[in-house]
Amino acid sequence: MKKLLQLSVFLFLGILSLNAQTLQIKGRVLEDSTNTGLPNVSVIVVETQKGVSTDQNGNFSISVAGKGSVKLRITSIGYQSQTVTTNGSKPINIVLSKEQVTIGDEVVVIGYSSIKRKDLTGSVSSLGAKQLKDNPTSSAAEAIQGKLAGVQVTVSEGAPGADVVIKVRGGTSITQENTPLYIVDGIQVDNALKIISPQDIASIDVLKDASTTAIYGARAANGVIIITTKAGKAGKTLLTYNGSMGWRELPKKLGVLSPYDYVLWQYERSRNSIADSTSFAAQYGTTWDTLSNYKNVPEVNWQKEVFGRKAQYQNHNVSLSGGTAATTFNLGFTANKEDGILLESGYDRYLVSFKLDHKISDKLKIGMTVRYLDEVIRGAGTNLSGTRTTGRLRQSITYRPFELPTPTGGLDDFDEKYYLASGGQTNPILLTKAVYRRQNTRGTYLNGYLNYKILQNLVFRSTLGYNTDYITDKQFYSKITGQARQVGSKPLASIGQDYYTTINNSNTLQYSTAINKKHDITVLVGQEIVDRNIKNTLFTTRYFPADISAEKALANMGLGAAPTGIAQPLPFTFLAPPNRIFSFFGRVSYAFKDKYLATFNLRSDRSSKFNSENGSLIFPSASVAWRFSKEKFMDNVRWLSDGKIRFGYGTVGNNRIGDLLYQQLYRVNALYSLNGAILPGFSPSALSNPNLRWERNKTASLGLDLSLFNNKVQFTMDLYKNTANDLLLAAQTPSTTGYTSQLQNIGATSNRGIEFQISATPISKGHFLWTSNFNISINRNRVENLGGVQEITRNSGWQGSGGVDDYLVKVGQPIGLMYGLITDGFYKVEDFDYNATTKIYTLKPGMVVNSVNGPAQPGFLKYKDIGGGPDGKPDGKITVADRTVIGNANPNFTGGWNNQFAYKNFDMSIFVNFVVGNNIINANKLEWTDATYPDLNMLDVMKNRFTNIDAGGQRITDPVQLAALNTNAQIWAPNKAFNYWLHSWAVEDGSYMRINNLTVGYTVPNNILKKARLSAFRIFATVNNLSNITKYTGYDPDVSARRADPLTPGVDFAAYPRSRTWVFGLNVTF
Amino acid sequence: MKNRFLQTFTVSVLLIALIAVAGCKKYTKVEAASLYSISQAFADVSNATIAVIGVYDELMGYETYGQFVSTEFPYDSDEGYQEGDIDNGRRGIGRYQFTISNSDMRDAFRSLYRGVERANLCIEQIPLMPQYTKGSEVEKTDLQRLYGEALTLRAQFLFELIRNWGDVPAPLIPAYKQTSLFIGQTDRDSTYDRIIADLAVAKDLLPWRTLVPKNERITKGTAKALRARIALFRGGYSLRSNAQMERRPDFLKYYQIAKDECAELIANRAQHTLNPSFENIWRDLTSFKVDSYGERVFEVGEGGATESLLGFVNGPILSNASRYGAAIGGTRMMPSYFYAFDSVDTRRDVTITFYRVASSTNIKSVRRLGEITSGKFRRDWRVPLLPGTQQSPGFNWVLIRFSDVLLMYAEAANEINNGPDPLAITSLEEVRKRAFKNNPIGTTPTDKAGFFNAIVNERFLEFGEEGIRKYDLIRWNLLATKIAETRIKLQQIRDRVAPYDYVPEYVYFKNAGEEITWYTGSANLNTQPFWRPQQTPSPITGWSEVSWSAHLKSNVIDGKPLYQAFAGFFVTGKSELMPYDQGTLDSYQGALKQNPGY
Repeated sequence: MKKLLQLSVFLFLGILSLNAQTLQIKGRVLEDSTNTGLPNVSVIVVETQKGVSTDQNGNFSISVAGKGSVKLRITSIGYQSQTVTTNGSKPINIVLSKEQVTIGDEVVVIGYSSIKRKDLTGSVSSLGAKQLKDNPTSSAAEAIQGKLAGVQVTVSEGAPGADVVIKVRGGTSITQENTPLYIVDGIQVDNALKIISPQDIASIDVLKDASTTAIYGARAANGVIIITTKAGKAGKTLLTYNGSMGWRELPKKLGVLSPYDYVLWQYERSRNSIADSTSFAAQYGTTWDTLSNYKNVPEVNWQKEVFGRKAQYQNHNVSLSGGTAATTFNLGFTANKEDGILLESGYDRYLVSFKLDHKISDKLKIGMTVRYLDEVIRGAGTNLSGTRTTGRLRQSITYRPFELPTPTGGLDDFDEKYYLASGGQTNPILLTKAVYRRQNTRGTYLNGYLNYKILQNLVFRSTLGYNTDYITDKQFYSKITGQARQVGSKPLASIGQDYYTTINNSNTLQYSTAINKKHDITVLVGQEIVDRNIKNTLFTTRYFPADISAEKALANMGLGAAPTGIAQPLPFTFLAPPNRIFSFFGRVSYAFKDKYLATFNLRSDRSSKFNSENGSLIFPSASVAWRFSKEKFMDNVRWLSDGKIRFGYGTVGNNRIGDLLYQQLYRVNALYSLNGAILPGFSPSALSNPNLRWERNKTASLGLDLSLFNNKVQFTMDLYKNTANDLLLAAQTPSTTGYTSQLQNIGATSNRGIEFQISATPISKGHFLWTSNFNISINRNRVENLGGVQEITRNSGWQGSGGVDDYLVKVGQPIGLMYGLITDGFYKVEDFDYNATTKIYTLKPGMVVNSVNGPAQPGFLKYKDIGGGPDGKPDGKITVADRTVIGNANPNFTGGWNNQFAYKNFDMSIFVNFVVGNNIINANKLEWTDATYPDLNMLDVMKNRFTNIDAGGQRITDPVQLAALNTNAQIWAPNKAFNYWLHSWAVEDGSYMRINNLTVGYTVPNNILKKARLSAFRIFATVNNLSNITKYTGYDPDVSARRADPLTPGVDFAAYPRSRTWVFGLNVTF
Repeated sequence: MKNRFLQTFTVSVLLIALIAVAGCKKYTKVEAASLYSISQAFADVSNATIAVIGVYDELMGYETYGQFVSTEFPYDSDEGYQEGDIDNGRRGIGRYQFTISNSDMRDAFRSLYRGVERANLCIEQIPLMPQYTKGSEVEKTDLQRLYGEALTLRAQFLFELIRNWGDVPAPLIPAYKQTSLFIGQTDRDSTYDRIIADLAVAKDLLPWRTLVPKNERITKGTAKALRARIALFRGGYSLRSNAQMERRPDFLKYYQIAKDECAELIANRAQHTLNPSFENIWRDLTSFKVDSYGERVFEVGEGGATESLLGFVNGPILSNASRYGAAIGGTRMMPSYFYAFDSVDTRRDVTITFYRVASSTNIKSVRRLGEITSGKFRRDWRVPLLPGTQQSPGFNWVLIRFSDVLLMYAEAANEINNGPDPLAITSLEEVRKRAFKNNPIGTTPTDKAGFFNAIVNERFLEFGEEGIRKYDLIRWNLLATKIAETRIKLQQIRDRVAPYDYVPEYVYFKNAGEEITWYTGSANLNTQPFWRPQQTPSPITGWSEVSWSAHLKSNVIDGKPLYQAFAGFFVTGKSELMPYDQGTLDSYQGALKQNPGY
């Protein structure tokens, strides 16, 4: 009470004195290297927290109540801040020097609070706005690719708005997803990188080891990505515009057979059967006599027609920020408008964000963020999650490479006869129009916080987030699509709607104190709830009138009429159980003389996914650090500015499984028909397991932070090992139970790795500045236990039903082993005995029998026989037993190197990222060199195939002639068996080094700006994906098409090709 | 002052925390609006009905009676064979090359066990419902029916598993109540006894067909007819784990059960009787008409969904460009089966089709003798027609018919009495008379062996394409014999020697519009040419020649003549059962005994 009285008196006197006297302080802020005035520098009176900004010439003027001297704090981004004391008697000159990025003062957000990097005891990778600015992309995920050590970003495909797979330190879960936890301004947000414009991001901090993530306990096993968005600054209100325009293009086209080679191949393919020969003559109007006419037929390159356009690209970002010492705000608006390189595809996004921070009093601070997202993904893409029958990329390769004259003409006509003959070939231009898709996401994200300084060193903070996402997915398939052909060749349409709601509330109390100026102690305790709700609805209507448009069908879902005996699908709705987590947590940080540092975390979580009888789970962690550079014996080591060793150990959890699997439940998922009407029925949703509990992930991490040569070079190294135990694994159960799997806590995996990150300023001389950031990560993943079994095989599934498993998961080996046959060239003529009477080739005794693709003939694809016999010895024939590990999807190392240069008003940056040593299954290649169906074009590698047709069009059977005809054959005759077996030919080296980004910019000098009444003006040009050095023969090695199963990474199938982007833009501040 | 405040604050924070701790258990205990707990699912009659509908679900669809179990497992036999060269799918099954990686075999196995599990949940829960014993009369009747349906469905799933895989694990309680998920194998006799007993319970709980809406739900007649069928299998031969075909000495006990059940059904013609027209059974089925005679005692409701491939995989080959829509003719009929029918038997041209529609012209052409297809589920009969490539015309699968009841009675009575009783004779003749319309049916043998052979033959002719023949032959231990006989008959037809010396080498036809007209010499144009050995038109111009017996000289499947290739990998003492698939063996981790020979 006494204190309050004192305060009132003080305030009263203060007001009085304000009336009494006013100081007028004038001054100028200068840049140290150029000695020119610095505009937009914030000048704040420390005592009153009032502030102004400098003008174009760096001048400022501020009036302060009270007499005597005041302290002024001068801050500007990119410069070291200063505090000066003045009595205002004469104008003061303040010289700001450029800030060196140091280990010291950068703030790192570590969950519920932030600390200076120098005090960090765990491993955290960070990225600031400056490193993001050169990538004017719309996707924040793409902007961070390769820039963070230990964070592997794989873009699933090149489609606008495509999924991005992010794995922190390899990912641990076998059958569950490995997505990290995202925290935006203190609130848990799913798909955070999608809903935030890169231009709105102030910093990204990735918590990588358990000692830092354990504060997020249960959900932290896959790492935590903390995003802080830009806030307003006290001072002059700034209007900033960042805009760019450009185009995307397909950087690489795959070679296919020319019209003549194509027809020649069809001729060859059809020789075996009378029916095929007749069909060939009917299709191509020739037998052999006039076949060479096709040499003069104009070639249609479908890749060019379908993916060849210069797709327009626009990105606009406007922000208005400013405020007073008490209230700051930042209003941002981002609009993206992009076309995909594939016809009909595109991406539109509007983002509005508003961030407000207000200081009610010295003790109470509140703030809020409102964010709104409206995103539309146009087009159905290439359907990489489909199979051969539904994938759409193949049409651009395998459709015949020329046009046949038709009554309607044009490039986009539908050839029914060709469709039926070829097992479903559809004109690729037409097909992109035949499938209509609009995926619209509308999201509203409301966050607020309250910060109450109960005492000088005791702070209570409460945050509340309420996020909603509403996703509408509209699809329409016209009568020519395969989907429609399954339902009477009538169009069908579906509308799916998903509503997501997340409520997140956390309350923390933080107490910090320093004892004897030696012991710094910070204690944080808190409590948090996360509540997530999902509602899905889907309705599908089939049998629309044959020629209805997509818009009309989707607007009239009642217009489909099913034929007699067949019913329309029933509407589907699903309200998922609330997914709730209730937690308590605490952290104690201790520092002794800034030399010895220690942090202890403890979190207790309870999740609605587990039986409450199984209790809550405690996740402890501890980390220690030693700043050895502060020790006496290091005093003489001049080159070392700062040095620290860190060690951390802890456990974190993972509960990303389906809901309520501990209870035996029914869902409405069965059907039976009575008199032609569909009746819904119950089916068990899964086999319950009442004993389910958290996945537990133990991490040990050893780190070294060095700052060298007067902070010119910073070096961070991390060694880690994490082991995930009690993995939530879909364990195979005997199908006689009625279920083929049950979720059980079995199995274990581990990841070991090493990460290096170097930041340096190699040159900083006069007008020239060169900064460089390099990182490299090595991760080794291993399956430690699979719950009883030693190995399981998985099917990536692109082959469709009947595909053979092509991945192996084995104890002691990493996840992502590619499992298939070893390619052994092709059978030669001399491998056979020839019966001249029957004209039949029979394999010589001892030759390996190909029993997976059918009886071998000369030119037939050959595999190595390595097993199948007793004791795993070769048995003379190719079977499933001859599969072996033929590839590994895990890279040896990944990394990135970013170089930024500035010379006078010019700036340039070049960013290179690389992935080395991984394999990719080029499933496209297998499909596009196959002869299962007639009338399909092939990749041009098949031009030099083994052939039976001589120069005169005759089918050769005589062994001597046949061998002579094929002396130069380089590849087998295309396989005609109705199945695809993975063999080592299709497993390729996926290593690449990509010039991911090259930017050149020019900043208009201040003197010109002044005339234009602008604060800043920069123009720039950027190329994304400028060039890619790789041996990979597909479109792009940065691909992962079969993501539904985490055990089948690295498949390239039907993925939308990645594009190269040319962008021109400007940054203006008014 | 400072301390006071701190105290107050600390206390309030602790209080909040305490409340939270108490509430957090409750907070994390959630329910899903869209999911049903076991108690919710069996809270009332309408929910229990939805649960039982979920059991029926596993009968339909391509994994069970929509394709694999109904059109793949029953072949090859003396009745028909699976079209096409051997593969790891339906053609591998047809040739008896059962590889443990065959996915059709695996998927059917899984689906049948899903059915068992769903039935077990209902069987466990329905009698526990308070309404089952204490509800209103309506509730009790409804729940008793549902319970009877669940028992019958489980019996059918287990029966299908046993006759294909032998001594299979037979879980009788839901999986979540099992102490071990590695459910051991059970001797088939004891499982059969259990389901025969279950069906005795079920038949008393189920209503007669006429008392409830006529649809694809199980009624009293179903339980009785299936009980008779299962009893005959229990009393028949099967392949035992010692690789021998054996029948148990007490088999007559089970024939008696079959006889009694059938006798009751035969005496109750108001419920089930023969459709006077054999063709109309299938015309009605393909037109989605309710069977007013109840001849289709029970059929699986396949309509509505897009999962049943009946009419696409079987029946004549139809071009997807024709007005009938696509059919691939996967089920081929044996030439010797074609010639097993009397020329006036109306069943042949229903069961066997010898035409195809190859193009959008809708014109029919004649198939060669080795390529004739099945016909009961033909898509070109569908009313209304369903053009295009859609693979699911929506036809039901008939699981058991009244003519089967008649013939089962005849068979059981003959076995028990050492010869047919009068009802056995009239039952057999009733089936035969319907097929022959007004034509003479010949003399019915009255000795035991002769009558038995007549039954074997009549069931052959009556049930073609209904998935019955192969299993009949197994329970009579005649499968190997009949396959061997068929190989000889096919060669006799090929060589046109007695008794097949009347078979023409070639047949000739023209199209009148879309339809086929035969060259029959001076005879009526509608007369079929199949019994006239010589018939070359002169001049031949304008007629299409089709290889008939001549076709059997060429290679038909697997690069071999039909007589060699069909059932190519059949080995008696092994092929009567299928092996457990790779996934099932793996999941048992060595605790499952593979069937003999695999």
